[in-house]
Amino acid sequence: MALVLGLLAPCIVGGQGVSATGTIAGRVLLDSDSGMAGAPAMNATVALVGTTTVVRSDRDGRFVLSNVAAGMRLLRVTATEFSAQTVSVTVVAGDTARVDIVLRSRHAPVVMAPIQTDAQSVDREMFQTRPNVGTLTLTATQLSSAPRVGERDVIRAVQLLPGVEARNDFNTGLNVRGGEADQNLILLDGHPLYNPFHLGGLFSTFMDATVGGIELITGAFPARYGGRLSSVLDVQSADDARLGIHGTADISALGATGRLTGLLNGGAGTWSFAARRTYADAATSIFTNNIFPYHFRDFHGRATYSLPADIRLAITGYLGRDVLDANLADFENDSSASRASEGRWAFNWGNRLIGASLERDVGRLRAEQRFSASGFSTTLDLGDGTLSQQNAIRDLRASGDVLLRTSNHDVSAGYDVAAYHTRYASGSSQTGTSDFDITQQGTAGGLWIDDVWRLSSRWLIEPGLRGDALTSRHYASLSPRLSVKYFVTPSLALTAAGGYVTQWLHSLAGDGPLRYFEIWMASDSLIPVASAWHGVAGIERRLRDAGSIRLEAYLKRYPRVMEANWSEDPSVRGDELFAAQGTSYGVDLLARWQPTTGVAGWLSYSYGMSRRWVDTLSWAPGHDRRHDLNVVASWKLARYQLGARFGLATGTPYTPIVGSVARREYDPSTDTWGSGSPILYVEPIGGARNTARFPITHRVDLDISREFRRRHSSWTPYISVANAYNAKNVLVYLYQFGTTPATRRAISQFPILPSAGLRVAF
Amino acid sequence: MSRSDRRPVGVLALAVLALFGCEVENVAIPSPPAQLALHGVLSPTAATQAILLERTRNGSQDLFGGAVDPLDPITSARGVPEQGATVRLITPSNDTLFGREDITVSGDGRGAGVYRFALSGAALERTGVYKLHARTRAGEVLDAETSVPGGAAAIASVNRTFDRESDTATYSWPAITGARAYFVRVESPFGPRYFFTDSTHVRLPGTLRNTQATGLPRLFFPGFLQTVTISAVDANFYDWYRSHNNSVSGEGLISRVSGGIGVFGSLVRLVYETWDVTAPQTNPVEGTYRFYGTPEEAGATLNIALVIWVESKATRSDQPDAISGQYFKRPQIGAVGCQVCGMIGTMKDGHVELALLRDWYANDTADVFIGDLRGDTLVGSFRQVAGKFLKEQP
Repeated sequence: MALVLGLLAPCIVGGQGVSATGTIAGRVLLDSDSGMAGAPAMNATVALVGTTTVVRSDRDGRFVLSNVAAGMRLLRVTATEFSAQTVSVTVVAGDTARVDIVLRSRHAPVVMAPIQTDAQSVDREMFQTRPNVGTLTLTATQLSSAPRVGERDVIRAVQLLPGVEARNDFNTGLNVRGGEADQNLILLDGHPLYNPFHLGGLFSTFMDATVGGIELITGAFPARYGGRLSSVLDVQSADDARLGIHGTADISALGATGRLTGLLNGGAGTWSFAARRTYADAATSIFTNNIFPYHFRDFHGRATYSLPADIRLAITGYLGRDVLDANLADFENDSSASRASEGRWAFNWGNRLIGASLERDVGRLRAEQRFSASGFSTTLDLGDGTLSQQNAIRDLRASGDVLLRTSNHDVSAGYDVAAYHTRYASGSSQTGTSDFDITQQGTAGGLWIDDVWRLSSRWLIEPGLRGDALTSRHYASLSPRLSVKYFVTPSLALTAAGGYVTQWLHSLAGDGPLRYFEIWMASDSLIPVASAWHGVAGIERRLRDAGSIRLEAYLKRYPRVMEANWSEDPSVRGDELFAAQGTSYGVDLLARWQPTTGVAGWLSYSYGMSRRWVDTLSWAPGHDRRHDLNVVASWKLARYQLGARFGLATGTPYTPIVGSVARREYDPSTDTWGSGSPILYVEPIGGARNTARFPITHRVDLDISREFRRRHSSWTPYISVANAYNAKNVLVYLYQFGTTPATRRAISQFPILPSAGLRVAF
Repeated sequence: MSRSDRRPVGVLALAVLALFGCEVENVAIPSPPAQLALHGVLSPTAATQAILLERTRNGSQDLFGGAVDPLDPITSARGVPEQGATVRLITPSNDTLFGREDITVSGDGRGAGVYRFALSGAALERTGVYKLHARTRAGEVLDAETSVPGGAAAIASVNRTFDRESDTATYSWPAITGARAYFVRVESPFGPRYFFTDSTHVRLPGTLRNTQATGLPRLFFPGFLQTVTISAVDANFYDWYRSHNNSVSGEGLISRVSGGIGVFGSLVRLVYETWDVTAPQTNPVEGTYRFYGTPEEAGATLNIALVIWVESKATRSDQPDAISGQYFKRPQIGAVGCQVCGMIGTMKDGHVELALLRDWYANDTADVFIGDLRGDTLVGSFRQVAGKFLKEQP
């Protein structure tokens, strides 16, 4: 019933004129499965479907929605760890409609995949109220339906969506609709996060327990987003409004994660804190005589609070660090006579973020102000200062927006200002020499306006305009944006969108299959701003039984895209990148099914084509994958949850190696070649860029877990197998030309990777 | 290391591959065409100017090699020499010199692909353009050019003693006309450490480590003679040696050779020093040990003294300390090579193993000594004869 009503919502909204209004007042309560039957749910989100009106329940679970247009209205109520509820309320002009809403625990023992309701609601609301062209959402539960690779990883789940390419198993970087991995704006609760990856891209920094959901915009963004060419990924933290202290502990083969949540000041706010650390280093030293000098760690904190004057405060903090720090003399001896004289390798990298937002509703106005400090840094030190390299980016940002809701318009306007500082340096403190030391700082600012215009019951139009400026280049641009949705029927819509986007941060990471880090440099007087035009057209149909099918075609033109210059001169500024042009186009298909019982999941298929060129030189970028199919399914059966994923994709391009050359060393002390016992470097010689392709890859991942409930806790052991049938997917080819015949070795992506772990929740 | 040289990060990626990836296929592939490869450097301190001309590797030959023979630098180092080419060098004065392949005059089969010009370093015209033109017997053509920087060349080596625990050598020099950068190179037992700098000054502390050698060992080893050079180089030399190809994509190297790949550059040695590296001897095992034995034994031994330093103490109790030092050969009529040579080894619980090097490089061992320290006496044996050494008292 709720689904049917939901489908009608845009008609209801679109059909109303300026009419009399009423009030909805009520309480959000917990159900008996929570162990706190009838207790108030504080901080639950109460959304008026079809509008952008959202309020939160207070410590008594109470909420009030004023100025609600008379008629039948839908409320969607969500809270972490509880299934969302959608209820209908009839609002009488000048009157107050009262409603109590009972939230059901996600851990309810007899419910089959209850959270599917939540997923349906989010999807349905998006479909009805926004053009949402190229926009994909995944709830926490949907994210958890993708099988683990060692641990659950939000980015690995995102890679299974249409339009998103993972270059290979070793990389959690995202290539969205033909874009490079540095062209994605990655946000945590709306605040930018740089390089959210561990181990060179093998894992993301987002801990599963902290993620409440994601929204991915694969192109033609609304005007509020700027600074990236390809996509926006907003990862939303999970907030827990339950009474008391709750927690989860995850122990996997990779590491351990713990999270605690609770209420502040009797329910005026929420807090959560999570930490993760890998322990292969500790395990190695316990069980062997050797060392494993690598670990990573994450800390995530989140707090929300209702301040006086109905101001909602939310603070998000993240700190992550990868540490690869080894005194090589500590390794177990091998063939060398002694390791005593060996030196120290210190390599660490990580990101940090602190962000705060203040939000307030005043009548039809909603205002939000955000502040954040975000940064990423890498430090490499070889031999105690003999050679060191650093790259760092700091981003101090303020942004805000005001939303005015009228019967037919949601007009918002906002700004963002970012003061940034980048540094990229290499040198030796011991010899006092510097290879290069590039420091950039400046300010980037943007002003935007956006209007979601419900033109009629059939038309949703979202025009927008964004202006950007960059002080370090004396640059300014205007970026028009437009999204349109036409409802052929309440469950079938045609969409189209287009816009201009710019990017002033660029990566030196290069185009190879192993992309380690984004090494950031900003546009300045020597490095231009990159830009792209997006065009998207699609069709989306909501299916009756909690599903949807969406087909979108896109065309992206890059008037200027920056590529890393592998032959740049360290003592010359401005040659770090070169400007190319490019185009990407393709078709994405997403079919999702989210029934309340049985198998849920999605099928995604992407067809893509990308080219880049400079003058007459043209090549396919390394992520140019033609076909990519993913099927993800989960089945909750009583206390068991089964998950599976099948992936089938054509190969990405690579540069064939056409020989090798030995580099002879000239010894100035003897004026001869090869004296002095130099290492003989044999360099592979690349052929024409990316003119060959890796073979087709395919993979099945499986996952099974069972929940055991004991008093107020649940214990969920799991077993997962990545690449269950050990498909031999090729990662790279390595060549040998010093023997007869020449040989080519294929190095695999993931072999079969079984893992097991346990989640405890209370 | 330049921005182009991302090898340390590449090591991380390879470590990830080692952890999770594995070889799934190893197949023979057709040999691609081999290109011409050139290595040529003009140097005012060289007696004659020579270039190396070879083929890139393409799987058409099994290539083997060990220590590089400077008189046969291509064949001895797993290369495929390009023989019988016609190689011309056109000087800034428009004189044309023809290169003669060493193998045609050596008489011992060495020197294939090494083309030498009758042009002394002193005769090189500074800052003028030298053009190289090579034509193979198959008709392939290769062209390159370079310009020799100015600056006074350091002809003879200056000797100095360098205490690696307390000394720091500092150098400064005037800016050199035509120099793109300055090339600092230090020879060490585990291979040279070199780097470029745009600056006209550099310091070399004794604590430096060799980032171009496996395991990041110390750069300076007590007991060793180590050479330090600082040279002005042209852009071709700088670009070729600072850049590397990506191990997967094969791009990044900067070659300005037309018709092939490689370098034709110039170098002017500005600083040339030989350091006698030392360190305080505070560990009981450290010191000078003289051969001790009967006259018959003394007549048979090849080595009459060992000077030992504990180069690095082990950080693990199950591993030995590292030893470095030098050994003195018994003077012999007609002996060639060094009389005092380098030595590396290990010591654990009084057990000593030493590799007596043929010269100053760890990859070429002339003899070994295995023994035990008993009080002040080191008792053991070389490969052929026994040895007993008594520590000199300071």
